[in-house]
Amino acid sequence: MDGMELISFKIISAVGTAKSMYIEAIQAAKQGNFEEADRLIEEGSNIFIEGHHAHGSLIQQEASGEKVGFSLLLMHAEDQLMTTETFKIVAQEFIELYRNVKMLSKGENRNED
Amino acid sequence: MKIKLFCAAGMSTSMLVAKMQESAKKRGLDAEIVAYPESHLGKETDDCDIALLGPQVGYQLGKAKGICEPKNVPVAVIPMQDYGMMNGEKVLDFALNLKDK
Repeated sequence: MDGMELISFKIISAVGTAKSMYIEAIQAAKQGNFEEADRLIEEGSNIFIEGHHAHGSLIQQEASGEKVGFSLLLMHAEDQLMTTETFKIVAQEFIELYRNVKMLSKGENRNED
Repeated sequence: MKIKLFCAAGMSTSMLVAKMQESAKKRGLDAEIVAYPESHLGKETDDCDIALLGPQVGYQLGKAKGICEPKNVPVAVIPMQDYGMMNGEKVLDFALNLKDK
């Protein structure tokens, strides 16, 4: 396996793990476990950076004049990178929504008492 | 022995499958290793000895356990490091260890 394939897989593996954690974060928030949700977003973000660095090394390589070979696998890796980046924003918004829903429903219960 | 790998679409995982098949062949291990999209978890685990999830669908582990445990099929998420390095040897070891447990 050549260097390009390895870098592509490093990206896919890191950002794929991050995306999975962002989804778990929403699920934790849904259960009302906001500490766990915040922790998963943070841990996912740290892992995402590994993929981001791997991708950055390719951009630097190309910028320095060294040609970067293109492949469907690299395109797939970049696709995963982008969707995960966007998904983090959505996940954070969802967590805030669940937080608000929980706060509001608590307020309602108090009114009933 | 049948080992099935499940990931989002089955694209990147099929390359890992090729690596694992190489490792199995080297060891003289009679193993059928195949990749599927995770949406096939239900029907594809009927005739399988070990199920593995790609790290990108790790959030499905709870659901996967619900499907696999009644069928006595061990299931786990492939470690991110081994997946990222396409380490067929290590992932094969990981799979076989699940069966031994």
